[in-house]
Amino acid sequence: MFGLIGHSTSFQDAKRKAKDLGYEHIASGDMDVWCSAPPQLVEHVEVESLTGKTIQGAYIDSCFVPEMLGRFKTARRKVLNAMELAQKKDISITALGGFTSIIFENFNLLKHQNIRSTTLDWQRFTTGNTHTAWVICRQLELNAPRIGIDISKASVLVVGATGDIGSAVCRWLNFRTGVGELLLVARQQEPLQALQADLNNGQILSLQEALPKADVVVWVASMPKTLEIDPLSLKNPCLMIDGGYPKNLDIKFSGPGVHVLKGGIVEFYKDIGWSMMEIAEMEIPQRQMFACFAEAMLLEFEGCHTNFSWGRNNITLEKMDFIGEASIKNGFSTLNLTKNVRAAIA
Amino acid sequence: MQTLESSQTEVMESSVDLLPDFSTEAYKDAYSRINAIVIEGEQEAHDNYVAIGSLMPEKVDELKNLARMELRHMKGFMACGRNLGVTADMKFAKEFFAPLHENFQKAFAEEKIPTCLLIQAILIEAFAISAYHIYIPVSDPFARKITEGVVKDEYLHLNYGQEWLKAHFETSKEELVEANKANLPLISKMLNQVAEDAAVLQMEKEDLIEDFLIAYQEALTDIGFNTREIARMAASALV
Repeated sequence: MFGLIGHSTSFQDAKRKAKDLGYEHIASGDMDVWCSAPPQLVEHVEVESLTGKTIQGAYIDSCFVPEMLGRFKTARRKVLNAMELAQKKDISITALGGFTSIIFENFNLLKHQNIRSTTLDWQRFTTGNTHTAWVICRQLELNAPRIGIDISKASVLVVGATGDIGSAVCRWLNFRTGVGELLLVARQQEPLQALQADLNNGQILSLQEALPKADVVVWVASMPKTLEIDPLSLKNPCLMIDGGYPKNLDIKFSGPGVHVLKGGIVEFYKDIGWSMMEIAEMEIPQRQMFACFAEAMLLEFEGCHTNFSWGRNNITLEKMDFIGEASIKNGFSTLNLTKNVRAAIA
Repeated sequence: MQTLESSQTEVMESSVDLLPDFSTEAYKDAYSRINAIVIEGEQEAHDNYVAIGSLMPEKVDELKNLARMELRHMKGFMACGRNLGVTADMKFAKEFFAPLHENFQKAFAEEKIPTCLLIQAILIEAFAISAYHIYIPVSDPFARKITEGVVKDEYLHLNYGQEWLKAHFETSKEELVEANKANLPLISKMLNQVAEDAAVLQMEKEDLIEDFLIAYQEALTDIGFNTREIARMAASALV
C-alpha cells in the first residue's frame, strides 16, 4: 500500500474540509484545538495503472496548517506523528507532501527516529523530490518550445539551484536537456560554487542580475518577500515554472509574455476516486496531484519499496530516468500551459 | 512562496530541547503536584485492577499481576520525588482523581465491566502513557530510567483492556459510547488542570492532548470502532 501525508493550504481551508468530512468537532475548533489534533487517516483509495496493475493507497492528513510554521515544536510533532501513523498502518511507501518534507528536512527530523514506542523506518518514506525534479524538467522541455523559446539557445535560470530539487534540475538540464545557458541563483555561495564545479557549467548571479537575462525561470526556493520585479524588465516570452510550495508566483509575475506554469504537478490518465486533492487546490482534483505524491504511487506500482528520494543532493540522473519512465508507463503526464495560452502565442 | 530559513531553525531547535533546571523551587513546587498525581494514579490503578478482578473470577490472577505492577510503579515514582527532595502533595492528587474515582466506583457497584475497563485500562492508561512519553525527554536522569521501564508495562495494561473489549465489542459498544461521554470530559478537565504545572516541567499541553488522543484513538480503533465513531467520541477531549 502507498501513502500520502498531506495538509490543507490554510487554516480556513482545513476547517472547511474537516466539516465536509464530518469532523465537526475539529472543524469548529480554534488554532489550539488544531495544534492538539492527532493525524487522521481520512481516505483509502484504489488506483489502476495504465498497465492494468491496481494498487491500494491511503491519505493521511497531518492536521498541520501553514499557520503553524512559526510553532516549531507543533510543526515537528505534526510531521512525526503523521509518519508514525503511516508506519503503524503498515503502509509500504509514503510520500511527504507540501510542507511535510520541508519541515522534515529543515528541522532535521532525522534526529527524531523514535516516536513513543515506534522507531520510524526511513525506508518507508520518500520526499518525492526525484519525481518532482523530473516533472519540472519535462515541463520545461515540453512548454518552452510551445511559447516560442528555443531550448538549445535559451538562458535557463534556476532559483534555489543548490537545493535537493534545484540541483537535480540543474544536472538534468545540463547533461540531458542541453540548454543554451544555465544561470544559477541560491542563497549560499559555497554550495553554489560546488554545484558549478560539478556541472562544469553555469553562471553564478544574483537574482536581480539573472531575472532579466532568463528565457525560462525555474523557482524551487523561496522568493525574497521584498522582491519587486518590473514585469517589463523580463524577457518576452518568458516561461516561469513555479516549483515551490505553496504555488503563488502567478500573483507576483503577471506581465506581457510571462507565462507562469505550476511546476511539479502531474495528471493521471483517469479519475481517481478521492476527495483529498481538492484541499491542494488542484484544478482537476480527481486527476491532478503533486508529483511527490505520485512518486509514492509509482514506487508502489513498480514494487520499489525504498526511500527512493531521501536526504539532500542524492538525486541522480539514473534515478530520474527510472522515475520518469515509470511515470509515463503508469499513466501520468505533466501539467502544461493551457491551449488558450498557446493559441494566443501562435 | 514560503520556505523555512535554516539559520532560524537552528536557533529554535537548540532553544527548545534544553532540559529544565530540576533544582529550582518553581520546578520542585510543580513536581510536588505532578509527582503526587502519578503516585495516586498508580495506587488507583492497583485498586481498580483488583476491583475489576473481582468481577471477572476467571481473570483474577492476571488482574492481580497487573495490580502488583502498578504498586511497583508507584514505589518507583515515590523514589523519583525523594531523589529531587520533593514531598508529593497527595491531598491535591486525591482531589484530582476524585470525579473519575467516583465514576469508576459507581460502574463497579453496577458491575459494568466495559465501563470499568474503559476508565482504567483505556482512558487512564492512555493518559498515563502519553504523559510519560512527553515526560521522558525532559526528565532528570533518575526519573527517566524509572519512567522508561514503566511505559513498557503500561502498554501491556492498555493492551489488556483492548483485548477484552475487542472480544466483547458487540455487547459492550453501546455502554462504551456512554462511558466515553461521561468520562472523556473528565480526562480533558484533568489535562487542563495539570497544564500549568506540566509546563514548568516543560511538558506542553498541546503535546499532552495530542499524544493522549493518539493513544486513545488507537485503542478505540483496535477495539472495533470506525473512524467516524472515534471522531465523534473524541470530540469532547478537544473542545
